[in-house]
Amino acid sequence: MQLERIGEYEWRVPIGTVEGMRVPGIVYGSEELVGGAVEDRAILQVANVATLPGIVGASFAMPDIHWGYGFPIGGVAATDADGGGVISPGGVGFDIACGVRLVRTDLSWDADVRPRIGELVAALGNATPRGTGAGGRLHVTRKDLLRVLTEGVGFPLDRGIGSLRDAELCEDGGVLEGALPDEVSERALTRGAGQLGSLGAGNHFLEVQVVEEILEPGAANAMGLFEGQVCVMIHCGSRGLGHQVCTDHVATMDRLMRPLGIDVPDRQLACAPLEHEASRRYMGAMNAAANFARANRHVLADGVRASFEQVFRRSAHDLGLLLVYDVAHNLAKIEEHEVGGQRRRVCVHRKGATRAFGPGHPSLPEAYRAIGQPVFVPGSMGTASFVMVGTAEGERKAFASTCHGAGRVMSRTRARKRIGGRELARQLEGEGILLAPGSPKLLAEEAPFAYKDVGEVVRSCEGAGLARSVARLRPVGVVKG
Amino acid sequence: MPRSLGTAPTGKAGGTPDRGFAFLEHTADIGVRAWGPSIGEAFEQAGVGLATLMGMTATGHEHEHVEPIHVEGADAGGLLVALLNELVYLLETAGGEGLASLRVTRLDPASLDAAVKLAPARAREGLVVKAATYHRLRVFERPDGTAEARVYLDV
Repeated sequence: MQLERIGEYEWRVPIGTVEGMRVPGIVYGSEELVGGAVEDRAILQVANVATLPGIVGASFAMPDIHWGYGFPIGGVAATDADGGGVISPGGVGFDIACGVRLVRTDLSWDADVRPRIGELVAALGNATPRGTGAGGRLHVTRKDLLRVLTEGVGFPLDRGIGSLRDAELCEDGGVLEGALPDEVSERALTRGAGQLGSLGAGNHFLEVQVVEEILEPGAANAMGLFEGQVCVMIHCGSRGLGHQVCTDHVATMDRLMRPLGIDVPDRQLACAPLEHEASRRYMGAMNAAANFARANRHVLADGVRASFEQVFRRSAHDLGLLLVYDVAHNLAKIEEHEVGGQRRRVCVHRKGATRAFGPGHPSLPEAYRAIGQPVFVPGSMGTASFVMVGTAEGERKAFASTCHGAGRVMSRTRARKRIGGRELARQLEGEGILLAPGSPKLLAEEAPFAYKDVGEVVRSCEGAGLARSVARLRPVGVVKG
Repeated sequence: MPRSLGTAPTGKAGGTPDRGFAFLEHTADIGVRAWGPSIGEAFEQAGVGLATLMGMTATGHEHEHVEPIHVEGADAGGLLVALLNELVYLLETAGGEGLASLRVTRLDPASLDAAVKLAPARAREGLVVKAATYHRLRVFERPDGTAEARVYLDV
């Protein structure tokens, strides 16, 4: 496969790489990262996405790109919302609105938390349902579940969980308009009913982290971050409810492809024109699942609050426990962007990519309008995570998108063959990272060496102008499914 | 990505040369390769492979019960994905029950009926499987007349 280098961190996948490409592919990343993606066949998936009807600009990939199904993980594609564009549920993925939330505290690692870290990780472990078959922190009736789907974090707020500030600092104010709970199947509701406030498994986690280095003081200050400070990062999504919404609607679109005369190189790219009834229904169900995902992270954050209050015997207010921001990295949204010198309404699919609006964007909360949208880039367990902000340049380049994490380089089976879970836990503890009890087998699958170097991913995003680094955090306590 | 993709089974497999399943490597997710004397029997093996991955298998038990499944699809691959997604749903919502057996009772080009026997699951570690995907989906007859199916799961 021939890639054309068009910048230090920018590569073009020419039209013609696969038959039917309507736009070129553009991949951001260092030579090493992009080389890995070629070997991984993820670049071929970038080319496949470029065949979607109505795609505009280019089929983009972020530096943490790796092989997915249909879309690559790290893929961004925008389709024309006012003429011929499609929506593809596979371009959002099964874990609808999976995302990251960062909670800051006034606590210092050395003075306050280090002496109590064992107690804190145990409390967080107890407060965080996780793994297969776990229930959720908040039990809801069917009627209440439907409210979650339309109200997002508004529902738990109404129950007295969290503060209004938590909603303001969520992407979209914590609730996506346009949710259609009637389009969420009975099965999706059944899967979601017992899972509000649960972590799931796989790469989802809740981590206690320490701000190791501030890289941009102005933006860090606006987010209330300082060196030596303790924060909590939560990574999870819409659980079984979102998975089932995607399953249901991909199946519908798969059956529609032939009657609609749409041909795509991978069936997981199944899609329908935005104006089609099936798309309207999927968008409504997807927005509902996104509201569930936000409420889910909100309820998990309430467990964080309870754990800190229990361990430090002070109120969350007194501990300075506040939400920094909450952002999704699996979602499709109708947004306005400049395409070919014109403002156009487009449907931006971000699959393992984070929206990253630059400074001054009207949809940002007041607190961050001057610095740009906060973006959280979790590293693998055992390595650093980063806080970044969106840039004006990134808005122009890739529909305001940047990376979402480190990205896997090794299969789960291989990771497990290389290290046992118990050995890995001992190794991490030797490095000062404490783990809440969990499955040793699943832990091994998430070993740090199974992921790309997150530092290289972040450097590539900065080098390409997609986002700027604000702070680097290192993990000291991990809760995993 | 592993060079062996799509060809070399990895991980713990189950079965005999006649029928069985094996896991296929994928960078972020995992695949199941299943085979049997007929397409229906290969699908049954794929279902057992899925339940094994989820750590939700069961042996016969006095509390076992049977759930009927009916799915529709555009072709054999679509039917396999629909069947596995039904199993994902059943196992996630069965309250600790696992798959004791799966039997495809009727299969035509656009629909399939199956009987799923559920019983209290053995306590085992397993992955949370989000769904079966259409990615690199294949169902085919092998030169010896037996059937094989390959499907990737999002975990």
